[in-house]
Amino acid sequence: MNLSMHNRERLAGWLFVTPFCVSLFVFFLYALGRTLIFSFQSYDLFNDPVWVGLRNYLSLLTDPLFTLAFRHSMAFAIIVTALQTVLALLLALAANRKVRGQSVFRTIFYFPSILSSAAMTLIFIWVFQRRGIINQGLTWLSAHVGLLLIFCAVVALVMLVLFLNGRRRYDWVRWYDPFHFACALAIALVVAVICAGYGIGVRSVEAVSITWMNTRQVWGPLPRTLWAIVVMNIFTTIPTLMLLYLAGLQSIPDSLYEAAKLEGASPWQRLRFITWPRLMPVTFTVVTLGIIGTLQMFDQVALLGDAAPLQSRITLAFYTYYNAFPPGGTPRIGMASAAALILALVTLVMVLLQRWVGVSETTND
Amino acid sequence: MTELTAKARAEQAAVRRRQWSAILLMYGVLLSVATILLGTFLFSLLASIKRDPLEQPFRLWFEQIQPTNWVVAWQQGRAGANDAFWGGLAPGGSVVFDVTYAAPVAVGLEEPDIQIPRRRPGTGMAAVVYQDFAADHVADLEIRRIDDERFTAEDADGLMQEWEKATWRIAFRHDGEGPRLERVPLTSAAPREQFLVDATLPPSLMERRGRQASWDNISPGVLGYVLNNYRRVFKESIDLNTGDSLFLSWTRNSFFIALGRVLLTLTLATTAGYALARLKFPGSRALFMLLLLSMMIPVQVTFISNYLVIRDINLLNTPWAVIMVAIVSAQVLIMKQFFQSIPREVEEAALMDGAGYWTTYWHIILPMSKPALITITIMAFQGAWNDFFWPLVLISSPSNAFTLPVGLLSLRNAYGGAGDWSLILAGAFMSTIPVLIMFIVFQRYIVDNPIASGSKE
Repeated sequence: MNLSMHNRERLAGWLFVTPFCVSLFVFFLYALGRTLIFSFQSYDLFNDPVWVGLRNYLSLLTDPLFTLAFRHSMAFAIIVTALQTVLALLLALAANRKVRGQSVFRTIFYFPSILSSAAMTLIFIWVFQRRGIINQGLTWLSAHVGLLLIFCAVVALVMLVLFLNGRRRYDWVRWYDPFHFACALAIALVVAVICAGYGIGVRSVEAVSITWMNTRQVWGPLPRTLWAIVVMNIFTTIPTLMLLYLAGLQSIPDSLYEAAKLEGASPWQRLRFITWPRLMPVTFTVVTLGIIGTLQMFDQVALLGDAAPLQSRITLAFYTYYNAFPPGGTPRIGMASAAALILALVTLVMVLLQRWVGVSETTND
Repeated sequence: MTELTAKARAEQAAVRRRQWSAILLMYGVLLSVATILLGTFLFSLLASIKRDPLEQPFRLWFEQIQPTNWVVAWQQGRAGANDAFWGGLAPGGSVVFDVTYAAPVAVGLEEPDIQIPRRRPGTGMAAVVYQDFAADHVADLEIRRIDDERFTAEDADGLMQEWEKATWRIAFRHDGEGPRLERVPLTSAAPREQFLVDATLPPSLMERRGRQASWDNISPGVLGYVLNNYRRVFKESIDLNTGDSLFLSWTRNSFFIALGRVLLTLTLATTAGYALARLKFPGSRALFMLLLLSMMIPVQVTFISNYLVIRDINLLNTPWAVIMVAIVSAQVLIMKQFFQSIPREVEEAALMDGAGYWTTYWHIILPMSKPALITITIMAFQGAWNDFFWPLVLISSPSNAFTLPVGLLSLRNAYGGAGDWSLILAGAFMSTIPVLIMFIVFQRYIVDNPIASGSKE
């Protein structure tokens, strides 16, 4: 009786997972195995594959386009993941309070992440046109750089004065007192508006006309085209990640902070020894999602199409596709598969690496 | 003593001030982020109804969003085609349009050269799509000069002088034969010293160094005036063989694929999720590891074999191909976690009563899982609707088999090079409408999406 119950459960289990298993085995496991085999073959989708051993991997190493794509992918993944994680955390820390209207903000912040990459990319290609609003914004900035400096100077000055003044009365006042900061911002805003009215700090400049898309210019580790995509990626992901961090922050019990305050811990120490370790699980999630998402960045590159030269936009994921379906050429499935496996390997290594680093970090605490 | 309490009170006030300021600053941060986010979309939405989205400087208050122009566009559309919304020039319709010029009396006003040109709107497919011209169907064209009062004003050199002003009233009707015309363009060229000071509708653009004013459509109708770019998306993305709107076929395909994906996801994710959550069977652990692996490996690693499999079963260029290649691991994970959160007692009672696993799953577990089911339905719909990679790989021709994202790519290729961004932006915005509606209706389920906690395992 017992045994048959047991068998029944087994059978039911297998039957229940069968549909998903078929899909997973055919379109994932089998596909993965086949990619492995293809990577040792020369194959063009039409003639029979020929075994070539490691030659695909060797020709990848000598293909300048591959090394370029590899460099771009790594730099892109690291830059975007780092920037979006740090910025999302900072924004979450700044916004970490239970407030009215939170659901409205949540809705707004989620908004960019639900749109299709196609629509987002097209909007951003428009934003980054030579006559687009990014360049117009930069023109405005360079015309008002003096005003911005005045603004910052006034903020710093007012904060200093308020701090020194407060110091005389309460010894617990710190230089970053939020009240002082809010006052300084308000005063600086008034000063800036008055200055702008008199034309102080405003100069006339030539319109900025940076070519963002159709260019071969390289800035640091990435071509300028990919920097534009970095901006776009961060723009779409930060709000969502910020909400993840906010949820994490709000799950930290207040009593921990109270206790730390009583012990005389500075805000920095509280951040370092309470907030940061408690947020570790969220950081894992954010970084893992970031690495996986950025390494397979494809849609934006494909949608750019002939709006940018191949060398300025290619990534590993696109290199794979480009070799499998080269426009007007013979498919090089072997090369594509080898590159794809390297992409998979890089993803796994980076995810495991950050886990390993993260785990050793938490055990130290 | 009193001095001490006064000091303590002052300190308390300072603390309170600090707290208020901190809240204020936080709202500031939230609001700035929200402004940047929504501002970008607002700007591009405005740009999508402009004639030239790349105009410099970028105006926030322009012809198409001025209500006075809507009223005029409404009236002109009614007069021209008895269609206040989409306007045009239809048999039986007649149009009246005024242009007013002013010039210093010393210079004198000359009659402007007013034409109804044979001009096509925009670039790309427009040349093939628009074959009928208003110029060929205009009858009884009459231009009458109406003199206005003189006035004194400063000219460009700051010299006070007297000006004369006159309106030229252009009137014509449809010749009664031939088709309904979508647009009636107009140009009016005048000598350089003479200024266009008013017109029934503001000119679409000034050409020849400001000497020639030109209108894309003088009887637009209110929607034809504001949403002209959106109309162009439908009119100009057409199948040249059948004349059907490609944008509509893309939308249909996208809906079909999204629907298929939703059904597939619901089936696979609930069954597998149930088994992994509740049933003990050999291989479940291995399956779970494989599932996690499949969430980490990029699709570019597996697409070659999948392409070949689809090719071998002759489903290339069909929506079925795009539906079936999706791996629903994340959704399985969500269902598994949800099922695990349901107390076991509920189903154990049923199993004791002799109900089978299928009955338990179908009649007890699933009805309790509505929130999770809605969540994965939304995820599947949104994922399929926004999917770009699989349709790109699996559907390469004909162009009416595309989905919306791939269709947008073809629009970009056709119009982006010429800098005709109005149509591309309009298409991009239209393609997002279904997910936007879904987001507004079901935002609770999207914002509390457990995918984040799910992929953490």
